[in-house]
Amino acid sequence: MTQPEDAIQKARAAAAAASPAGELAQSFEHDIAGDAPSDELLQEWAVISVDPERVYSTRRLGAPLTFVKRVFLRLMRQYTAELEAQQTRFNLAVLGRLRELERRRGE
Amino acid sequence: MTRVHQVTGVAGPHDAVTGQLLAYQEVLRGWGFDGGMHAVRVAPDAPAGITPLSQLAVGPDDLVLIHYSGWITGMAEVFDLPQRKALVYHNITPAKYFWSVHPEVAVICEVGRDKLPALVEASKAVAGVSSYNAAELREAGAGDPRVVPIVADPARLARDVVEPGAADPLVLAVGRLAPHKRPDLVIRAFALYQRLHEPRARLLYAGPAQNPPYLARLQQLVREVGATNVRLAGALDDDELGRAYAQASVMLSLSEHEGFCIPLLEAFHADVPVIARPCGGMPEVGGDAVLWAEDGDVAVAAELLHLAVTDDELRAELVRRGRSRAQEFAPERVSHAVRELIDAALA
Repeated sequence: MTQPEDAIQKARAAAAAASPAGELAQSFEHDIAGDAPSDELLQEWAVISVDPERVYSTRRLGAPLTFVKRVFLRLMRQYTAELEAQQTRFNLAVLGRLRELERRRGE
Repeated sequence: MTRVHQVTGVAGPHDAVTGQLLAYQEVLRGWGFDGGMHAVRVAPDAPAGITPLSQLAVGPDDLVLIHYSGWITGMAEVFDLPQRKALVYHNITPAKYFWSVHPEVAVICEVGRDKLPALVEASKAVAGVSSYNAAELREAGAGDPRVVPIVADPARLARDVVEPGAADPLVLAVGRLAPHKRPDLVIRAFALYQRLHEPRARLLYAGPAQNPPYLARLQQLVREVGATNVRLAGALDDDELGRAYAQASVMLSLSEHEGFCIPLLEAFHADVPVIARPCGGMPEVGGDAVLWAEDGDVAVAAELLHLAVTDDELRAELVRRGRSRAQEFAPERVSHAVRELIDAALA
């Protein structure tokens, strides 16, 4: 019988013997970004563009509600596009200033 | 008589903190405390009895019991109330898990952690639902935080009788499909187990998705790794969940962050062996009754699945230990800790 305390050693030995390769055996830490986003990610986040798929109903049978919400979103597109553009303008300006400061600090 | 009003940020269905409001309410009523349940945001399908924070009517001698798991704009007015306050900290997931997947939730988490010291300072008595959470409260300035475990009664779940070996192995995962719970790793570990050991094995993932785009990514992952018999079932009601536990060969959790983890207790109650990662508050709940996948390797998790499904004596030992752990967290035991928290806040 395997005691629960011994199971991990047994599993490690079996995993090493099987040595499965490739995508399936990726480590636990693979997919999570660190606490500080990279420059590229910051640039990506600065440009606001909300996917309409993000608007949905959380109810169990919410498909009709999701449809209605997306219709409203479409009707309001003129406003939300302006909102996105103004926020993006600010974000990019701040990001530009930040990079300028970093450049000066490096000189 | 003094009333105890419970307050939280968001109330919705299939939400652990909302479940605690309901469980506390039952306990508080049993002790003769009146009072309401309120949330800043109440989802349309939230359980009955939880009303918006705007309806909070609190008397001068009343106690406000705050269940905290993130910052929702509008909670500031609770901070500012002159009445005595008690805090139950359910933990806040680090924002890094959500920035890419659900920025709105990331903000709730990030600001939530920033506000924790102020909330600790404003509260007369504070508690975490695990020692892990209590340690975070101490870091936030709490002098002597209590530990008040989750009030959970797994007996609410239906208990079907299923003939052993009647079907192909069923790996059960329970919890929100959210990045910090690492459903991606569960899918990878299951795919490996299926490929190496049991092609007919099934995976049932019970829990609502963080949002539709994240669900779509996981569905794509299932296809990419070639796993079959995978069902991402969404939220299940108590009867459905009880049946799922009854049919499960093993429960698998590869979550990286948990303040407590109620599904561990549910699995123990249903005599289902558990494999999990020793993260957050999970080790103090699972103790010696869980096969801890402490390696950073899904291949080891896949082998643990194989062991837990095929080694009958190992399964029996895990079930025996699980029953014992479940007793440790029986509602009648935990309610004493709740009472002590209330008394400390009212003293």
